[in-house]
Amino acid sequence: MVRYARGGLPWLAPGIAFLLLIDLFPLAYAVVISLYSWWLVRPSETHLIGLGNYVGLVTDPQVAHDTAVSAVFMAGAVSLELVAGLFLAVVFAQRARVFDLVRPVILLPLFITPVVSGTMWRLMFHPDLGIVNYYLRRIGIAGPPWLSDPGLAMVALILLDAWRTIPFMFLVLHAGIVSQPHEFFEAAMVDGAGAWQTFWHITLPLLRYIMVVAVLIRAMDAFREFDIFYVLTSGGPGTATETIQMLNYRIFGFGRVGLASALSTLTLVLVAAMSLALLRLLARERAA
Amino acid sequence: MNIRVRIACMVLAAILIGPVGGAPVAAAPGETISLAFLAGYKEDVLRANISKFEQSTGVHVQIDASPYDDLYKKTLLSLSTSANRYDVLFMDEPWVPALADFLAPLDDVTKQIDLGDFVPSTVAAGRYRGKLYALPVDPNVQLFIYRKDVFQQRGLKVPDTWDDVLRDAQMLNDPAKGVAGIVTTAGSDQQTGLYMLLLMWSYGGDVLDKNDRPSAETPEARRGAGEFVQLLKYAPPSVQSYSFADVNKAVQLGKAVMAIQWASGARPMEDPANSTVAGKLGYALMPKGPAGRDPMRGVWTIGVAAKTSHKDAAAKFVQWITGKEFGTTAALYPATSSAIHSPRVSVLQDPKVDAALPYAPALLANLKIARSRTRVPQWPDIQEALRQAAAKISTGAISVPDGLKELDASLGRIMAK
Repeated sequence: MVRYARGGLPWLAPGIAFLLLIDLFPLAYAVVISLYSWWLVRPSETHLIGLGNYVGLVTDPQVAHDTAVSAVFMAGAVSLELVAGLFLAVVFAQRARVFDLVRPVILLPLFITPVVSGTMWRLMFHPDLGIVNYYLRRIGIAGPPWLSDPGLAMVALILLDAWRTIPFMFLVLHAGIVSQPHEFFEAAMVDGAGAWQTFWHITLPLLRYIMVVAVLIRAMDAFREFDIFYVLTSGGPGTATETIQMLNYRIFGFGRVGLASALSTLTLVLVAAMSLALLRLLARERAA
Repeated sequence: MNIRVRIACMVLAAILIGPVGGAPVAAAPGETISLAFLAGYKEDVLRANISKFEQSTGVHVQIDASPYDDLYKKTLLSLSTSANRYDVLFMDEPWVPALADFLAPLDDVTKQIDLGDFVPSTVAAGRYRGKLYALPVDPNVQLFIYRKDVFQQRGLKVPDTWDDVLRDAQMLNDPAKGVAGIVTTAGSDQQTGLYMLLLMWSYGGDVLDKNDRPSAETPEARRGAGEFVQLLKYAPPSVQSYSFADVNKAVQLGKAVMAIQWASGARPMEDPANSTVAGKLGYALMPKGPAGRDPMRGVWTIGVAAKTSHKDAAAKFVQWITGKEFGTTAALYPATSSAIHSPRVSVLQDPKVDAALPYAPALLANLKIARSRTRVPQWPDIQEALRQAAAKISTGAISVPDGLKELDASLGRIMAK
């Protein structure tokens, strides 16, 4: 454990104060608000209801449905991003000049804001005007109703999210691969290991720690994703792609501050539990 | 604490508190009022004309435009907390009952306005519990739109009842040619709930009864919602993902013979540069059901915050934006999208306006008989519950009776809160 000199505390004070002000105080305040029935339309009728908001949320089938949608999206999107990002990272780790030229193009989606990319993909998936169905028709395939079929709408969302964030996975994993010690690979080559054996027994085990970190970051992001759902499907068709974040956005929008704070707190607990599980995995990897 | 430290603390406090504290301050030389407005085409019309108001009154208007969903949030937060961010507010009429406690009654303002020139139902949009809290600016109402040329070719009469609409939609629906009998929204768009409610009204149903108790499970409501689902059989194949803009696109591209759409969507349909059917469309009274004809009203109104310290300047702005001059200019504004339509009879019957807006007579006729959504403060929550139920019903995720049962339960929870 690092020990600091006694005189160090005043130097830490601004940072601690900042953390309290912008992070811990609002968090604690939100938890307190979540115990109240507080509707902005009738502020004079605000009153303490204890865990009433939480009981209402836990027993509401819509909350369970929306949480499940968030979880399905997170699992689908992060899995696809991990596999594709890893594939690209391995390919680009090979020394070829053409990769230096292509790399910036691959990173482009990272710089497009979610709302813009959502709008763009909404047009691309349009059943009559969209480019996706246009090219499918050109090759003789009747384009499916991407955004009006519950299953396909989720696939569309996962594809959009993957398109946006595969570059992140690629960057992180690529950095991990190129920093792996050469000795292992040279030894494997001398022992006659093939490309697949080298990947499976050397690259992947050495990359596991970084992979867990990348998955942790992306999983937390994906669970909290809002923009692309709002723009691409608005939670539809029906309520098939409505997530817990969209529900919270709507509840807060109607001025139900207490209820919205309770849902935020529940989401925080869920994300924290998920992160804790991944962090434990990370600790095990580190120990190994 | 020495003097230098004290000064440093005061400067730091001023920097931290400055941006968040205090009410809007009048800017020299004239007053400044802050206006919460809807972003997009209505904002464009206002910004193009606001200098006329500023020059004639010396009052500067700070426009804060937000998209629909955010506008209600920002308005509610500004009014119900000590933020006092806005002096004047542009509000969709279902918001008025929820916001009435925070708005200044406009009785004094109306003394200087010729209320007789307004379509009466539009003035009712700003009234709540006997008091007038807002005045109409943009009188939106649902229209029944059809292809005049197709109806003439097929020798069909303009549908007068929902059964006529269903029959014609079935007859004119031609998926092989990519032409739908009718287009509306289905799925998650909030308009879906409103269109389903429109049909429920026509069959004698509603979401709340006269005592504001949930009433979505009546046989009349079921019949109306059922008729809505029947109509969707002759809508475009991907209608479940359609939004307001997609309905417009379908009409503009000639991919639907009939449509139910708000009047605010009609302007681009008549724009030859963006519509293949400009000049070929007819606009009629909303079809009727067994219980009557009930086009839904959705008037955009203007109100003044009760806590504003710029009451006179705000009143001047309300008079200007509801005036005949702005109404005519706005209705004639060369918008590629929709314009603000005036709630004044004299403007809607102006030959210049009628020439520019072929749907103006239908807009006026529908407005005169338009029905409002139930005037309760909980309406925004109710509309969301209605959206969810209609979204599930229209996508077939749930049957009409089960969807309305679920809606009734949600309404019970909302009204009990």
